[in-house]
Amino acid sequence: MSGDSLPLTLPLARFSAGDREATILFGELRKPLLRYLVCLGLSSDEAQDVVQDAFLRLHRHLSSGGAQDNIRSWLFRVAHNQARNRQNSYDRRFSARLDEAGAESIPDEATPERVLLEKEKLERLGNAIRTLPDAERECLLLRASGLRYREIGEVVGIATSTVADTVERAVKKLAEKCNV
Amino acid sequence: MCEYSGRLIAWLDRELPDQEGIDVESHVERCAECRTAVSAYEEVSSAFLSCYQSAMISPPRRHAAWRALVGVAAAAAIVAGILLVQPRLEKLPIRLPSPPHAPSMAFEKPVPPTPAISVRLRPAMAPAPPIHQPWIANEPVVEVSLPADALFPPGAVPQGFHYIADVHFQQ
Repeated sequence: MSGDSLPLTLPLARFSAGDREATILFGELRKPLLRYLVCLGLSSDEAQDVVQDAFLRLHRHLSSGGAQDNIRSWLFRVAHNQARNRQNSYDRRFSARLDEAGAESIPDEATPERVLLEKEKLERLGNAIRTLPDAERECLLLRASGLRYREIGEVVGIATSTVADTVERAVKKLAEKCNV
Repeated sequence: MCEYSGRLIAWLDRELPDQEGIDVESHVERCAECRTAVSAYEEVSSAFLSCYQSAMISPPRRHAAWRALVGVAAAAAIVAGILLVQPRLEKLPIRLPSPPHAPSMAFEKPVPPTPAISVRLRPAMAPAPPIHQPWIANEPVVEVSLPADALFPPGAVPQGFHYIADVHFQQ
């Protein structure tokens, strides 16, 4: 799965001045961050709060002369840690949004038989996702966000080789449980 | 199990070093087992990605159901309101201004103003066949009530006289 076209290092020299790069950065990363947080189980309001706070922290980080390399994984890591701090909703609703979203992904022009088959497949997928350990689900969500293995490792705090093993294990489990 | 099976997903994700990726690719072209596995991994990854990309910030569906319920209730209330108010509107009389009373003479007994005659629409003749034009109402749209003393001189109003005026608005 290829990553986003977003460069790993952004020209953020004038970020603190609220220049055009900041707007581009916010526009590029706000939506992926929100989607990731919602899929982790946060409500829309919680996700908005976390994303806003993450960008404020980024502003402080860069204003104080912090490193500017790989801002994307920096933001995902901040958001990921804040989601973990909201442990109640994080545990209870993890992957619930994926279940809800499954039905939305079926095309409108699909025949009734196709819709039924797709719903059964998505139900199996939802059940399989719920049985995955948190680390595997997190890696798959970050992978679906377009992050590279190295970035995923930076977000969740594990080695890149561990990310590769975790992703492989998770995908194989899903394929086996979904009978594909 | 094929020795390459542990690197197929990393190869799909383009996470292998260049030369290793080329090796896996050439192997997959020759190995049916790995091609089957790659196909399964691609399918499940695509399904996961579709779900993930559909998961946006929209409110849960139960909110949509509540909105639909409220909408139906509001529509029912509006229809009920129209049905309840319409008959009243039809019966509202339009009263024309009465002519000014002549100054009373000292030797005349003051005559109390004649009450407005109630208006009911039911002619003695056979009812006319319904007009099959959808834009004409079967019932009079407006009933006009005229006081008898506006039509007859004082004291000349026949007993039991009723006057009915139906006004249809037509184009």
